[in-house]
Amino acid sequence: MKLEMGHINIKDVQFGSESKIADGVLYVSEDALRQVVLEDEKLKSVSFDIAKPGESVRITPVKDVIEPRVKVEGQGGIFPGVISKVGTVGSGKTYALKGMAVVTAGKIVGFQEGIIDMTGPGADYTPFSKLINLVMVIEPIADIKQHQYEKAVRLAGFRAATYIGELARELTPDETHIYETCTMKEGLEKYPELPRVAYVQMLQSQGLLHDTYVYGVDAKQTLPTILNPTEVMDGAIVSGNCVSACDKNTTYHHLNNPVITDLFAEHGKTINFVCQIITNENVYLADKERSSDWTAKLCKMLDLDGIILSQEGFGNPDTDLIMNCKKIEAQGVKTVIITDEYAGRDGKSQSLADADAAADAVVTGGNANQVIILPKLDKVIGTMDYITKIAGASDETLREDGSLEVELQVITGATNETGFNRLSAR
Amino acid sequence: MAKLKAVHYINQFFAQIGGEEKADYPAELRVGEVVGPGLAFKQAFGDELEIVATIVCGDSYFNENLDKAKADILAMVKEQAPDVFIAGPAFNAGRYGVACGTICDCVQQELGIPAVTGMYIENPGADMFKAEVLTVATKNSAAGMKDAVAKMAPLALKLAKKEEIGVSSQEGYMPNGIRKNFFEDERGSKRAVNMLLAKLAGKPYTTEYPMPDFDRVDPVPAIKDLAHATIALVTSGGIVPKGNPDHIESSSASRYGEYDIDGVDDLTEETYETAHGGYDPVYANEDADRVLPVDVLRDMEKEGKIGKLYHNFYTTTGNGTAVASAKAFAEEFSKKLVADKVDAVILTST
Amino acid sequence: MDTDYIIITNNPFVASEYGEDHLVDYQEESFISLLQRVQRFVYEGHELLSHPLSGSVKPKETLYKSVLIAKKVAGLDLSSLKLIDSSIETCEKFHYKEETNEKNLEDMRFVDYTLISSAIASADV
Repeated sequence: MKLEMGHINIKDVQFGSESKIADGVLYVSEDALRQVVLEDEKLKSVSFDIAKPGESVRITPVKDVIEPRVKVEGQGGIFPGVISKVGTVGSGKTYALKGMAVVTAGKIVGFQEGIIDMTGPGADYTPFSKLINLVMVIEPIADIKQHQYEKAVRLAGFRAATYIGELARELTPDETHIYETCTMKEGLEKYPELPRVAYVQMLQSQGLLHDTYVYGVDAKQTLPTILNPTEVMDGAIVSGNCVSACDKNTTYHHLNNPVITDLFAEHGKTINFVCQIITNENVYLADKERSSDWTAKLCKMLDLDGIILSQEGFGNPDTDLIMNCKKIEAQGVKTVIITDEYAGRDGKSQSLADADAAADAVVTGGNANQVIILPKLDKVIGTMDYITKIAGASDETLREDGSLEVELQVITGATNETGFNRLSAR
Repeated sequence: MAKLKAVHYINQFFAQIGGEEKADYPAELRVGEVVGPGLAFKQAFGDELEIVATIVCGDSYFNENLDKAKADILAMVKEQAPDVFIAGPAFNAGRYGVACGTICDCVQQELGIPAVTGMYIENPGADMFKAEVLTVATKNSAAGMKDAVAKMAPLALKLAKKEEIGVSSQEGYMPNGIRKNFFEDERGSKRAVNMLLAKLAGKPYTTEYPMPDFDRVDPVPAIKDLAHATIALVTSGGIVPKGNPDHIESSSASRYGEYDIDGVDDLTEETYETAHGGYDPVYANEDADRVLPVDVLRDMEKEGKIGKLYHNFYTTTGNGTAVASAKAFAEEFSKKLVADKVDAVILTST
Repeated sequence: MDTDYIIITNNPFVASEYGEDHLVDYQEESFISLLQRVQRFVYEGHELLSHPLSGSVKPKETLYKSVLIAKKVAGLDLSSLKLIDSSIETCEKFHYKEETNEKNLEDMRFVDYTLISSAIASADV
């Protein structure tokens, strides 16, 4: 499967009377975008704002971050089964608007999702401080159930990203990257000497605020399966996951999965990047056993030599992580796992909720309990009302001088477990 | 600005007083002197930090007179009022490493002066103190002196200047179980790919998060027929024949003893004692059965509750003995136990 | 409904939603106390069916928890034991929060409800 990914570099985002992209500047008509967002009657109103890198701006509570893309050529459309009709994606030509993102914000439930600071120490811990963010703060109608609101905001974000991505359809990309995967037979013939490697991605799948969707299917209900790594570049996997801000995968992370990019960089040279395997993280213990058994079985059936395993979240997914690692290693397939840590504020507690000697090659995204002081910033997009409720904050969070004493947990994407960032720990 | 001050602690060997035979050298303060490895530190410190005094102490003296040695040395350090306290490096010398760790911990806690030491990773002092005291990982012999000083000196300087100490992997101290965040040069996914490539090629790699060491041993099935079983006694409580003929050390044991108790029904004050320096020996010396229950097992033999008590017992001192050493001893003598069809071992410790 | 599992919970919403058709053992208690109650059931020989820690809602971020255990007393299951013990240990390191806002409490109850519902969905198959 071959995908040509074109990058359209966005240098600035401004509101204008007409939505268009010209000379690297994205102009957005608030009225037009508002119509797209409020298509769903469950949403009462939306306000838009633009946050740029370096500005003294705090965005909170952040729900999802999405990169606008458009399918220019090839089968299917962006966010298949969610926005576009179901249809296999990952081939042909897709354009992505680089340097910017759509950010959805708004209260969903009592414990909130996250903070993005565009400047200051907090900015160092989120990749989203380096993007121009088009923020949508969304208000639901009264008397709406939490899961209905969550779904409405989720879809509104994808609709907005699709609408904006569409503006790039006729443009010429500033750079192009080609990603090509082989079928089993092609790979064996072309790269007989190279180690066979796959990316095993664990998807959060436990309930409200904890869900992920694959071609529109709730990952809770899936059995481990195989994907072409290019499929996610077209939005085959999207996030409905909100907790915790630091280690949940936003849709942006799914679209730009760095394990996939970095494995492709080695494909055909040092490894044969065979495929992506996705599995879930259910609450029911027998489901965990089944999924990990299945994942290990797939690794063996595919004759893999090694895999990179990434998890999503903390606590009960640590059990899945270790189960997957142990069982895959037992099949003779070498593993490297990517996780983050909750070692307590003093760094002394055991970082993971589960452990095994088989997990001898670990990359960490850092200790999410590390305390950080976020200075008072000039502007807040969203609301500070829930600041003490975000996972990682507490009643002591808001200090007298207006600064926030919080754990890294509250910062969106801070300890991401797809290895997106350079943060680590020893 | 006045130069920053350091006090350096070394043992009798590195002070060139003597070897094992001089290990009972009492703690001595040498004001204004830089001795042995201190000279290498002095060079590394340049103008910024000065060793104002060196304290020399024999390893046996320290370990066997713990309270007095600590009190005396603390007084010496307090008087010198240094900005940092440096001990060792101890390399693989077990009692020296334990002494370094102990005295650094003491200085930090009682005087509030930051300390740094260095030793080989398997030195029992490392596991004991690396969480409390910055412990640089050194090679296992004094051949690694240059490397040790190269890592210890910058840390000592940082501590003296009250600068923030970075992550273990960058500063060269042993990961002490306290997780610290820092930014790598490359993103996590790239580090993961590189780690996988190394693992696939059979090349060395270092995990960023070592799994907690469980070292689980699966229990063997219970003995079905105790009345016909041969039971052996093994102890880390240091019980030895009176006079400690094989000189098993009071701590950081480098050997174990094998003693025949054929015909011995009871351990007495005249015939047995304890070599262990880590507990008050009075009751064990009065009656070593309290630690190694030979008398009770002889009774059980007579009563037919057990088949018989094996004719040898094995002993060493658990106090500060390296895990690697303890493992090695057991691997060796358990071969005999298996060959002589011992069914079970009662392992006593203190 | 005759199920082969019991829902151990401190969440009144779960108790009310599932109370009629399912075996629910509800008590008003703290998060950690709920886990300790589950632990006692495990020690008595009930197998754990769902994981005591929820996805990423950290213990002490929420006050409510529901856990599924087997109805049958089958004898001490070592993996259930390890799991409940280590889950309680994991809870120790989290910074406890107090919550009084009714809307927030309602949300916490609801999220726990959806999490246990996903487990019940699997258990009922």
